[in-house]
Amino acid sequence: MFTESDLLRFVEGDCSPAEAAAMQAWIAADPRRAAVLDELQAVWRLTGDATRRWDVAAARGRVRDARPGVAPRLHIVPDRARPAGPFSASPWLLRIAAAVILSLASALLWTRRSHLPPSREFATSPGQRAELSLPDGSRILLSVATRLRLPRDFGARQRSVELDGEAYFVVRHDPAHPFVVRTPYGTAEDLGTEFDVHAYGHEDGVQVVVAKGSVALRAPSAAGTSRLNLHARDRGVIDARGRATRTSGVRLDNFVAWTRGSLVFEDAPLPRVLAELARWYDLDVATADRSLDDERVTIAFSSASADDALSALARVLNVRFTRTGRAVRLLPVVHDRRRP
Amino acid sequence: MSEPSLRSLPSAPLLGAPRARPSQWEAAFAAHYVALCEYVLRFVGSAETAEDIVQDLFLHLWDTRGPRDVLRLTRRYLHVAARNRALKYLRHRRVADGWLERVNRDPTPRLETPEDVCLRRELDAAVQRAIAELPERCRATFLLRRREGLSYEAIAARRGVTLGTVKSQMWRAAVLLRSKLAAFIL
Repeated sequence: MFTESDLLRFVEGDCSPAEAAAMQAWIAADPRRAAVLDELQAVWRLTGDATRRWDVAAARGRVRDARPGVAPRLHIVPDRARPAGPFSASPWLLRIAAAVILSLASALLWTRRSHLPPSREFATSPGQRAELSLPDGSRILLSVATRLRLPRDFGARQRSVELDGEAYFVVRHDPAHPFVVRTPYGTAEDLGTEFDVHAYGHEDGVQVVVAKGSVALRAPSAAGTSRLNLHARDRGVIDARGRATRTSGVRLDNFVAWTRGSLVFEDAPLPRVLAELARWYDLDVATADRSLDDERVTIAFSSASADDALSALARVLNVRFTRTGRAVRLLPVVHDRRRP
Repeated sequence: MSEPSLRSLPSAPLLGAPRARPSQWEAAFAAHYVALCEYVLRFVGSAETAEDIVQDLFLHLWDTRGPRDVLRLTRRYLHVAARNRALKYLRHRRVADGWLERVNRDPTPRLETPEDVCLRRELDAAVQRAIAELPERCRATFLLRRREGLSYEAIAARRGVTLGTVKSQMWRAAVLLRSKLAAFIL
């Protein structure tokens, strides 16, 4: 039924479950076969650190897929072609220890040994940022509370990504494989460049600010054919109705300071400032007074503490705030304590 | 095409207090997954089954996580639990009693002591010598399999030989190494 050389497949784990069961019976039937198996397993242990290549990243994806609650702050560095030599769990462990990011390999992960790369999703939680390096040399800085999806066919014809949130793109230009950022309200195509895309799903519209080079910003085809060609220091916006507007000569710092860990607002509507603070400090901010919604604010934050940031904002607005855990309320000042 | 890689950014001043450390569960998965698969594979002989068993174990540990995790996520506990799951699987598949006895006899692997590490260095030299002494074609095939991790089909294509030749070269290498290293095989 089997010959001794079939034992190699058992040692290396290449048997199907059914074949393995048959082989177990065959081995158990004769102690000499068991002895040969012992020796082969020993030879394999001596001549390498693992009997085969185990795909830890895929395994992690499968487990995460089965339990969506698993470790939302996991940072997966795909475990690819490690050089031969001692496999060691510790570098992996170190990477995990630095972890803040969830990388969800979605659909099809339970499909056994699928060799097509799955689509990948990278997400940051509130207050967390991450840098994504792509195989083509492009880099993407993910801002807080942002999701970025790479479809299965990323890079095949075009390099297209789907964004919900804000990210800063440093793109290695390649006319043969255009780099395209898709959002519900519009699509930004790189024409050789660095640019910021701001498109949080629950806000209306998409904003693109170009730091270097140029970008073509298009509304989704259904919404019309508006197209903006944006150059350095241009800000292009497509609103919920598909209207495109361009502002030239913007202050880049107001839009990309977040990549250095600070937030800058110049004459910005208060609701927008509060939405950013909520994402950066993981807060839930409410205003007690509707009239505050019309306020415009010029302020910069670079503080480690949410309370410091809120205090600074309260001073600028001349309001006070209460905070219980994540819940923050901005309230009118009860009475003016300033001395004359 | 290679994989994208992601790293977290060092916390910027704005990012506030350090976030919760990754869970012990996370760390245990990262530290022990491969070792547990290797261990279970010895009993089940199918990598697919071994991965299923180890992944189910981690899912169970995730579902029942709690204050006892400190004890449950240790190397020793995980190995014992993985073996018990392998046994349960094998019983369910009604494998031969002789095989179950074999699995039961297999001790859980212990951590290397400092002496083991010294011994292992000596051993490594002997293993290198043994591999170097293999007949050339045999050695080339063996190294492509064990060092480069190529499939038999890929080796056949690379070396321009048939699949059967690759298999027989691998078997020949295995038999030769078994006798050359007999002194180290208990």
